[in-house]
Amino acid sequence: MTRDDVLRPLARLRGAAVVVTTMGAVRPWARLSEHALDFASADSAMGHAADFALGIALAQPARTVICLNGDGSMLMSLGTLVTIVASGATNLVLFVLQNDTYEVTGNQPVPGAGRVDYSAMARAAGFARAHTFSDTAAYEAALPSILQGAGPVCVTVKVEPGSETPLGRGPEQAAAYLRPSLAESARQLRRALVDPR
Amino acid sequence: MLPSRPGRGSSGVIHARLIVDELRKQGVTDVLGVPDNAAKALLDLLAAEHAIRVLTVTREGEAFAIASGLWVGGRTPVVLIQNTGLLETGDALRGTAMRMRVPLVCLVTVRGYARMAALGLRPAPGTLSGELLSRPDLDSVALLTEPTLTAWGVPWETVSSDADAARVSAAFERARELEQPVAVLITSETVAA
Repeated sequence: MTRDDVLRPLARLRGAAVVVTTMGAVRPWARLSEHALDFASADSAMGHAADFALGIALAQPARTVICLNGDGSMLMSLGTLVTIVASGATNLVLFVLQNDTYEVTGNQPVPGAGRVDYSAMARAAGFARAHTFSDTAAYEAALPSILQGAGPVCVTVKVEPGSETPLGRGPEQAAAYLRPSLAESARQLRRALVDPR
Repeated sequence: MLPSRPGRGSSGVIHARLIVDELRKQGVTDVLGVPDNAAKALLDLLAAEHAIRVLTVTREGEAFAIASGLWVGGRTPVVLIQNTGLLETGDALRGTAMRMRVPLVCLVTVRGYARMAALGLRPAPGTLSGELLSRPDLDSVALLTEPTLTAWGVPWETVSSDADAARVSAAFERARELEQPVAVLITSETVAA
């Protein structure tokens, strides 16, 4: 599967969910979505998109929060799988886009490349639901039900490595949500969530 | 660097109720962190506060990312960690709460402060050395706490005794004014009564 095979149907079905992207998913998602509830965890701290998304999920329990994490980022904070479950959040959908590489630094292999089962880890941590996909048709068929019902949900999707490059922010960026600073992006999302006038 | 108020020495204990009262005054909704001995009484009291959710995390850096997300979602979180854990948080603090300019208060219990103060040592970046940091009669993390906060651009208030409790609220005011994280260094053990 390609990353776009994952993101395109998700962009159609995300509804009013918050979507937090990071690393290799940031720009591809922006080519499919320009939404007030999209947030790029870019120019931030690597490995902390899932826990940041958890914070939003805890603050906004009536809203689905989707995190598009990578496997390299997930490896940096595996403990977060346990924290997510311990927190009691039921509205978080955690994608792990498993391409087995650190893509933006040149596709060097991640530790355990090709051997790690992230959904098994999530299940062992206590996730209510955990899925692994490597087939586009099966993923698309399951996605509507994945986005409904109680979570937390882990969705590992095995994707081909891409060619995304290091991320930046600023007015020259093609992705709209990379044009403001991280601080301004955080305030925009806060306004959209807390004071959506 | 923004001015930070130094400690006035350790009195030995701080009544946890006074800190909880300050958190309630500030409308705190969530406390995130990793437990330590000095915060035990505080955590015991917080566990009974129905309006405040306590979430234990697996590593201190997580606390800053989750707290940032909570703030974006409209809550008023604080982080509660030991100074050893503070040192672990470097990039998480920098890349989330600081870079997002979250007005976040972080309560930091300071392990080793009493010994350091008793020896008359004041930590300063220019005085740190391998020799000093490996002294067996000192806890090196106490020496590193204030210089680390200075290097990271995080101002702090110090709470050494019950008389300092209002400094917790002062930290919230500074965090809101500066739109950034502010630390509260708790240099004595918290006690229930």
